[in-house]
Amino acid sequence: MSETNKKWYSLNLNQSKKSDSCGCGNNEGSCSEEKPKDGFDQIMDVSMSRRSAFKKITAGLVIGAGAVSTACSVVSGDESKEKSGIEWDEYFKGNYKLMTDEDKNKTVDRLTRSYELRTGKNLSMSSKDAEEDVLFGYAFNISKCQGYMDCVNACVEENNQDRSTEMQYIRIHEMEDGKGFNFEESDDNYYHEVPAENHFYMGTQCFHCDNPPCVEVCPVQATWKEKDGIVVIDYDWCIGCRYCMAACPYDGRRFNWKTPEVPEQEVNKKQHYLGNRLRKKGVMEKCTFCIQRTREGQNPACVEACPTGSRTFGNLLDPKSNIRWILENKKVFRLKEDLGTEPKFWYYMD
Amino acid sequence: MTTKLVVKTITIVICLFAMSCKHSDEHKYHTVIDKIEAESLNYDAVTVSSETFNETINTVKVSEDGYEFLIPERKSQIASYNCTECHTQPIEKLKQDQVGEKAAHWNIKIEHAGLETMNCATCHTSNNMDELHSLTNSPIDFNLSYKLCSQCHQQEFKDWKGGAHGKQLGGWAPPRLSNTCVNCHNPHKPAFEKRWPVRFNTTVEQERK
Repeated sequence: MSETNKKWYSLNLNQSKKSDSCGCGNNEGSCSEEKPKDGFDQIMDVSMSRRSAFKKITAGLVIGAGAVSTACSVVSGDESKEKSGIEWDEYFKGNYKLMTDEDKNKTVDRLTRSYELRTGKNLSMSSKDAEEDVLFGYAFNISKCQGYMDCVNACVEENNQDRSTEMQYIRIHEMEDGKGFNFEESDDNYYHEVPAENHFYMGTQCFHCDNPPCVEVCPVQATWKEKDGIVVIDYDWCIGCRYCMAACPYDGRRFNWKTPEVPEQEVNKKQHYLGNRLRKKGVMEKCTFCIQRTREGQNPACVEACPTGSRTFGNLLDPKSNIRWILENKKVFRLKEDLGTEPKFWYYMD
Repeated sequence: MTTKLVVKTITIVICLFAMSCKHSDEHKYHTVIDKIEAESLNYDAVTVSSETFNETINTVKVSEDGYEFLIPERKSQIASYNCTECHTQPIEKLKQDQVGEKAAHWNIKIEHAGLETMNCATCHTSNNMDELHSLTNSPIDFNLSYKLCSQCHQQEFKDWKGGAHGKQLGGWAPPRLSNTCVNCHNPHKPAFEKRWPVRFNTTVEQERK
């Protein structure tokens, strides 16, 4: 069969052709000097009719002029000018990881002001960095959890999660005794009196892996591991590709398919830039160990809400902390340890 | 020709060596346990404190087997303490005086071990109601009632001291403030009760149908 009559498409990887004609079918001249187009050229170097070119330019102008006219207009009010100024600055701000402390304060101020302009309410947002000598870890006692789900409610309220799709970071799995940790057969959405006979309960959430696969796959570095071990997301940098969601072996990440809805009076006003600040449509979110609380020394909301004491949170670097005692004295294990993700979330039994 | 090959091989080996583990700060340790062990060697202290979150709670200091931490003070939380305000006389005497009248603690029903193991007098002292007593009749302060529980529940006591049993209040940062036994367990009926979960996710239910 000749090359040209092939009915399938082949990739031709590492197969240099010795023939005179090349893949493009052009036998005259040489194609070897044609370079692949990079991002800028892909957009700019496109053959286009005069009419469609005019269309595109006009559309661009209209958008640009709109932004400039609101910002500079004499007619529109000071507030809408300020608003579009904030929108402009927010749109062109850099990656949070690369920001100086001054930049961080500026963006936090802008976001606080923007909320005030929108709702007339004040909120306090922090951009506090990680403490020295701190590495956060979590322990969960599967003998003690009774499946009451107080932790889930506390988490939803603390972290301003979308009420309309009932998003929740924590899942409590009801597992049957004698079947081991069988997630396939367990139920994470039960509604009957708990604890049920012959069942035990196991909570999962983001495990804040020390070797997080979700961070590796992010194409835009919108998620990363902080110095104190918390894996965070910059909601303004996330492009919503959901690679991280696919990479996480623990179902720790959630995606906003629509604009999250939180009733104004239920919004938790104590926020952190990397934590529970209000998200938008099309970005990832997940448990942040309640960064807005834990960076101040407080326990996460789930730990505070648990009536059974199944949940322990602490500083892994403090030899006198409760979490260290558990790691050193109880029989602890982690989920899917063989993957090498090194979760900082241990389970133990009495 | 051979020297070229040798040089090439050496370069490759050096490159591989440089690219293997421990080449950057990110991958300095093989496991998180190694990281914890190495980085906690020089642990000093943290600047944050959990004190502000526990301001409203009066505390008592516990010092047991080298563990030192705080627990909530108890006596002020008991509705009718001091007990001796009513218990002016020993129980037997009070009972004789009040034949036919409704008992004062009618609502307390002991569901703790069996009645052949425990009754009121196992913990309460009939001639000094303001204090509890151990199995060998040495007095135990109401604030330190964990001493009473620990006589039987030794494994729980051990775990509680270390931090694997019970609940830490306020924050993870020092000073440590833990609930004492009776803050979570009703001493007269210590088991947790069955109840309905506080949440049911209807969206998930519908999606999975």
